[in-house]
Order: sequence, then structure tokens, then C-alpha cells
Amino acid sequence: MRWAFVFQYTAILVFCLGLALVVPAGVGAFYADGSTRSLLMSAAIAVFFGTALFLIFRQPRTEYISQREGMAIVALGWTAIGFFGALPFYFSGFFPVFADAFFESVSGFTTTGASVLTDIEAVPRGLLFWRSLIQWLGGMGIIVLTIAILPFLGVGGFQLYKAEVPTPMPDKLKPRISDTAKLLWKVYVLFSVLEVILLLAGGMTVYDAVCHTFTTMPTGGFSTKGLSIAHYDSLYIDIVIMGFMVIAGINFFLHYQMLRARPLAYWRDPECRFYLLTLVVLILVVSFFINGQVYESLGESFRYGAFQVISILTTTGYATADYNQWSAVAQLIILTCMFFGGSAGSTGGGMKIMRIMLCVKFCYKELFNLVHPHSVSYVKIGGKPVSGAVISSVLGFLALYMGIFVLCSIVLASMGVDFVTSFSAVAASIGNIGPGLALVGPVGNYSEIPYFGKWLLSWCMLLGRLEIYTVIIFLVPEFWRK
Amino acid sequence: MKIIIVGAGEVGYHIASRMAFENKEVVVIDRNAEAIKRLSDNLDVEAVNGSGSSPRVLKAAGIKDAEILLAVTDSDETNLVACMMADVISPTTKKLARIREGDFDAYHQVFHDQAPHIDTVINPEIEVVKSIEQFLRIPGAVDVSDFADGKLKFVGLYLDPGSRLAGIRLKEIPEKIEPRILVAAVVREEELVIPGGDFRLSAGDLVYFISEEKGLVPIIKAFDKQARPVRRTLIVGGGRIGTRLAAVLEKGGIQTKIIERSAQRCSELAAEMKKAVIIQGDGSDQRLLIEENIREMDAVVTLTNDEETNILVSLLAKRMGAGKTITKLNKFSYFPLMPAIGIEQVVSPRLSAINTILQHIRRGKVLSVRTLTDEQAEVLEAEALETSDIVGKPLRKSSLPKGSLVIGIIRNGQVIIPSGDSVIEPGDRVIIFAKRQVIAKIEKILMVKLEFF
Repeated sequence: MRWAFVFQYTAILVFCLGLALVVPAGVGAFYADGSTRSLLMSAAIAVFFGTALFLIFRQPRTEYISQREGMAIVALGWTAIGFFGALPFYFSGFFPVFADAFFESVSGFTTTGASVLTDIEAVPRGLLFWRSLIQWLGGMGIIVLTIAILPFLGVGGFQLYKAEVPTPMPDKLKPRISDTAKLLWKVYVLFSVLEVILLLAGGMTVYDAVCHTFTTMPTGGFSTKGLSIAHYDSLYIDIVIMGFMVIAGINFFLHYQMLRARPLAYWRDPECRFYLLTLVVLILVVSFFINGQVYESLGESFRYGAFQVISILTTTGYATADYNQWSAVAQLIILTCMFFGGSAGSTGGGMKIMRIMLCVKFCYKELFNLVHPHSVSYVKIGGKPVSGAVISSVLGFLALYMGIFVLCSIVLASMGVDFVTSFSAVAASIGNIGPGLALVGPVGNYSEIPYFGKWLLSWCMLLGRLEIYTVIIFLVPEFWRK
Repeated sequence: MKIIIVGAGEVGYHIASRMAFENKEVVVIDRNAEAIKRLSDNLDVEAVNGSGSSPRVLKAAGIKDAEILLAVTDSDETNLVACMMADVISPTTKKLARIREGDFDAYHQVFHDQAPHIDTVINPEIEVVKSIEQFLRIPGAVDVSDFADGKLKFVGLYLDPGSRLAGIRLKEIPEKIEPRILVAAVVREEELVIPGGDFRLSAGDLVYFISEEKGLVPIIKAFDKQARPVRRTLIVGGGRIGTRLAAVLEKGGIQTKIIERSAQRCSELAAEMKKAVIIQGDGSDQRLLIEENIREMDAVVTLTNDEETNILVSLLAKRMGAGKTITKLNKFSYFPLMPAIGIEQVVSPRLSAINTILQHIRRGKVLSVRTLTDEQAEVLEAEALETSDIVGKPLRKSSLPKGSLVIGIIRNGQVIIPSGDSVIEPGDRVIIFAKRQVIAKIEKILMVKLEFF
């Protein structure tokens, strides 16, 4: 384990973060809202620390990164940018303690969208722009993380795409990982531009359109409005945002395929098919249960039901309605959505559709084997068998996910948080969604969570974002053994 | 006519003996000295020991004046190379290669059209799977072959004691069955006869008849066979044929189970099949069969490589309540025994291979050939040439030898089931049933008359 090596990479990330901070500083200067000073100060600190760390830990070039070092770089890197990204929040004075600023920053970089701000409109525009920008950058990070780094480390649902699953990809994009990442970033940017244009057409200001795009594409969910998307109360904007949330929850490889004139790629991909069908079914069920009870007309139930289900299932976390007012069954379905998440290879969080799908198929196979004890069968995705190693890794992931969810809920409740708030807050943090139920519901926020609870939830967000294994590995003694 | 056969395996040996019986000049090439010895000891053929793909051996076998080369070794690759080499040495020889690997399926026609060194690719397994499908569809049939692109079916059925046809004369049949059928032959006590109108059918007869495809269902009903429609099938033996069959059945929406002994093969199958249930175990294990609900199976198809296992598993399955059984059998010597022990439907890859090969060996414009299971007779589909002897006069006056019968005429796509007054016109396709003794004469009739030159 070459720690110097790990620090060197982290330093590069921090340095880049410092450069990125100049952008919101410019926005702040443009609106003259007084946020420029704290932003530039943070930029200077980040650039200074980045340079200093880099020079201290400078290493000769090396070809080989071990699996352990890879995990350390990912976990430490994400934590470090969470820390330095929190500086402008802290300096601005809108966040009383550093835990709050860190929470907000991590929530941004992990594209969670959980906020401790009680009055968003009071916060200067430069700072809010930074809040949206970190989600967008986080989304880019996730794309490269899921397609390139995590498979290399042997974790993550996306490893399936390496060899196991015959996705409709006749050409394997590009042979080199960095080229593939650049290609997918282009797709990401392209969709972002498209969304900005469509939102502008709906009457949003340039500032709002850009900020909301920055938080839709990475399935983040920060809004520049206290009421989130409900603020606009426009069917057009609802539909545009719903569309882009659904898009952001789909594997980016498939978008690339689609852009190369293979529109059927979405339907041919078993995971995407499962994802779209799940969405449709859940939307219909939720709309059915809230119709006549919360909303008078079927159209309204469908509009609000669809938006909330899409927002939570894709782990975005925007709101156009307060589902705390809905019936228990609708709330429970929303809660279930928090665990599902987007597709592997998308910017969505949660357990990922691919894993849910594998788990369901595996359970069916187990039952099938009870009926036919001598049968030989495989769990198949798209007609091709999935190896046992992948299945056990997926089952292990799901077990860890649920285990951590239960444990953290108990810890949070022990700090005096009520029952529904504790488990939904943890579920919404690990799943990188944002809003939970009760106190932390769509109209609430995380400001009431105790001091240590915020650290815990920040850790949960990192855990969920980095596919659990990468973070939890630091708690395993074997990791530290020489 | 000189025929060179590369590979003295099951198919090679049998074709050689068949051709030798018809007084054709046969040379067999095989690498295995023992197989060569067995061949030359038993058959009146020339046997050459050596590799069939070697130009030296091919020359020694006399490829230059051979009319047909049959490459039927176990190796697809050897067969291909043998054809290629033969083409280099003697381009005029007609070359047939057996290729069994499924990946080649789509390329059979391509070979025919574009690869000059192979005239025809044959794969008996495709034929076998087709026959099994027919058996599953037509209850009680022991033999089904398609003619006129499937418009005409040549079917062999055992007459059960309870059937309304038992005990009646052939000329009375039209009163009993609506669409017209033509009974071509009856096998009674292992003796094949071509019956006349006064012939009386009796229970236990194996009746071969031809009918139009669309009339087949009511005809089969008239035989009063007790059969249930096939929805669930159990395949014992997951080899090439089993896999092919399962894939076809899967497509047709029939529930399929495959029992296969080898664990390795099972996992291959499990990876390949979409819906079929793969069971690892011994098909003759009663407990396993009960566990897998053998009683509810509409059909059990036994396709292992072991003849005896196939027979026993089929009998066992029948006794345990399976609807019907289809048994893969290669040894012709067993065929006559099968009805006696209660096995009716039998498929034979060897027989299928022979059928296909015969079609190419027969002279004249022969389009397809079917051999009856016991090999006593053949059914040929051929084009009636203008100069042929059978053209232009009523059938009762034509010069067809005794022991043969015209059982179908296809004129401009229209199917005619002939009577004594029917006249064959030039260009018609005719279906002729012929006992094996008169095949050579039939060939002559189908060929262009000598004075034509």
C-alpha cells in the first residue's frame, strides 16, 4: 500500500476542485450577491493544499495501481473533495457548524440532494450555483467511477457489463477506458445542453434552467427553490424534468447506442426493460392509491404520482408534492423505490435495478431447484448465464446494504430521532436520493438531525455512492494488514 | 456407376452395403484398418485404408472416374477437406459432405451455391428432428415423410383392433374416410405387399398410405388412435439431436425437459436453452422419472447414444404412464422387433442420412427419396421427363414394373392422388412407391430413353 501514491491522486482532485470553484465565484460576481469572497477564498485554499500535497507526495510515474490503492484513492478522494467543497458553505455563514457544510457538500458530490438549508431563497446565487455544480461534477465522477474504476476494483453492478451480459453493444465503444469515459461524458453534456434548452423554452430563467439541469442529469435533486419543482407549478416543466430523470436513470452506454441510431437499444437491454416496466407499474399503482384520496381528478393523481415515483426511483429527489400526506400504501411504495435506484451505468444510486433483477431471478432459481432437485440451471440475463461469482457478489452487496441500513437507522434513532425519520433518512442517504419521510420529507429538510447524525448520514451517502465495498473495506482489519 | 465413400462408420457402411446390393461399384476409404477389414469381409466393395482427405489415397481409390464422392466421416472438417481435395483432382465428380455442427446450418445453401467443391451438404440430424416433430404432431404414426414440399404426406400407421377400418376391403375405404387416401402398401407379418382393391385390412397391419396434408387430421381420426395432444415433452439424452429438438420445441411453446447424464453437458445445455428444464441424471432411474412427473408427459423422446438404453427407457416411460414414446435407433436389425415389444415410433439418423444420400445417387431427376423403416421399399419423388416411358398414357397401361406404384402426381403445384386412369404429363412431378427389388428398373424408366441420343 503506497499511501504517498494515494495522497498524490487525492491532491490532484483537490487542485481541480479549486479550479472549479472559480466558476461559481464568477457567477457570484455577476449577480453581485456577496458570495464571491468565500468562494474565491475556498478556491485559493483548495489550490494551495492541492499543490502542496502533490509536491510533498510526488511520486515517480507508475503503471500499476493495486486494488487496495484503487479503493483508497476512490474513498479518500471523494471524502477530500467533500471536505474542500464544504469550505465555501462554511465561510458563507449560512451553515452554523462545519458538519452542516460538510453534509451539504457530500450530499452534492454524491448526487444525493439532501439539504440542511431551511430557507434556500435567502442563500446567495453564487453559492447555490456551486451547490448545483458539485452535483453535476459528481455525476461525471460517477460515470467514470462505474464504468472504469469500480469494475477494475471488482465491485459494483457494472462489472456485469464487462463480460457477463450481452448488452446490445456490438462494438465495445472504445478499447481504452479513458476514451470510453470521454465518450460518455459527451453524451452527458449533450443531454445537459438539451435539458437547458427545453427548460428555457418552458419559461425558466437561464440561471434556474442551468442549475436544475446540473441537478437532474446526475439524479441529484438540489433545487434553487424552497418548494423544489413545485415552485414552477407548470405541467410542461414537470414533464421535461420527468423525462430527463428517466434518462439519467438509464445506463449511459445505451444512450450512446441510441445516439448512434439504434433506438431499439433501450428495449433490447434486459435491465433497461425491467427499469422502464418497474417505473410504469409503480406509477400506475401509486396513482391508483392516491386518486380520490389526495387528488380529485385522475389526471392530477397521475401527474403527481408519476413525478414522485420517477424522482425517487431514479434517486433524484425533486418534489412536486408532499407525499407525507399520501396514504400509507403509497408512502411504502415510495420507500421501496428508495431501495431500487437507477440502472447500473447510470448516475442513479440505490441498490441498482441490475442487482434487484439478479436477486429476483436468483430467488426464482432457488425455488425452481426445490421443485426439480436434479435440475441444472443458471441465472440468466438476456439469455446468457451469469456466473456464480457475480451472483454471490451481488447477494453480498444486498446483504451489506440492508445490514448497514438497519444498523445506521438504529444508531440514528438512538440520537433521539423519531422512528420513521430515522430509517427513511438512512434509506434516502445510502440510496443517494435526498428526501425521506416524516421530518426529512419532501417539504422538510435535514436541519433538525442531531450533529452526529449529520456525520453519520454523510458517511452513509459516501457509502452508497461508492458502492459500499469501497468504503466499508477500510473497516476490515485485513485491509490494513501488511 | 462408381461411388467413393469416405468414412466407414455407421452411415458409410450402410450406404456401401446398400449400393453393393444394387450392383454399383463402391470404394470405401477409412483410416481405421479394423473398420476396413470388417467392410471387406462382409461386403462386396473395394476398401482402401488411408485418410480420405489425402490426395494420394483419393487417387488410389480412383476418384478420377468416380461419379459421386460421399464424405461421411465423424469429423466435419475431414469431410470438407476431402471434398475440396476431390474437387482439385476430379472436378466432375459430384461431392456430398456430411456436416453436423449446428453453426453451419445457415450455410448449407451457401455451400451449394458458392463453394464449387461441395455439391451438397447433408445433415441427417436436421431430418431426424423434423421426423420427431411430425411424430409429435401426428398421433400413432410410425413413419411420416413429406413430398411435394409438404403438400403430400406419406404416413405409416398400425391398425388397432378397435379401428373402424379393421376388417374392411380397400375399395370400401372411401365410404369410411372422407378425403381420399391411397394405400400404397401393407406390412403384415413383416411381409410387405402392394394390395389390390379386394385386399382386406386387419388389425395389426402396418398401413402405408398417402394423403394430402390438409386432409390428414380426419384420416388419422378414422384410424381411431387414442392420443393426447403434445404439450409436455421429456427428452432423454442431451446430445446434438436432443439439443436441436429442444430448441425447436421451445420455439413451438411446448414445455420441454431434458435429462442428461453428463454434468458438463448439462451446464452447457443450461446455458444454451431458454426455457427448457435441464435435469442431470440417468434417464433409466425410475425415481428420477417419477420426480419429474413422467405420468404427465405427453411424449418421451429417447435420444441417448446407447440403443439399448433408448429402448429400455422408452418402455419404462410408457409403463409409467407417459403418453407416447419416440425412440432413436440406429441398428436396422432391431427394427422388426420394435412393434412386438410395444415401441411404435422410431427415428433413425442413419436412415435419414441414407434417404438424403440416395436422393443424390439415384439417376434421373430425383427430388427426394424415403426408405421405409424396414428398408423393404422406397418412395421417390421425381420429375417425369418428356422422353420417359411413363409419360402420356393411363397408369394402368404404363410399363411400371410389378411391385411399384405411382401414388402421387403434382402438376403445376396441384396435387393429384392418381387412379388407374390418370395420365402423367411431361414435367409433372411423380411420387413412386417401389419395392427394393425393382428400384433399378424404376431408375431406368425415370432416366432419359436411350434412343433420345
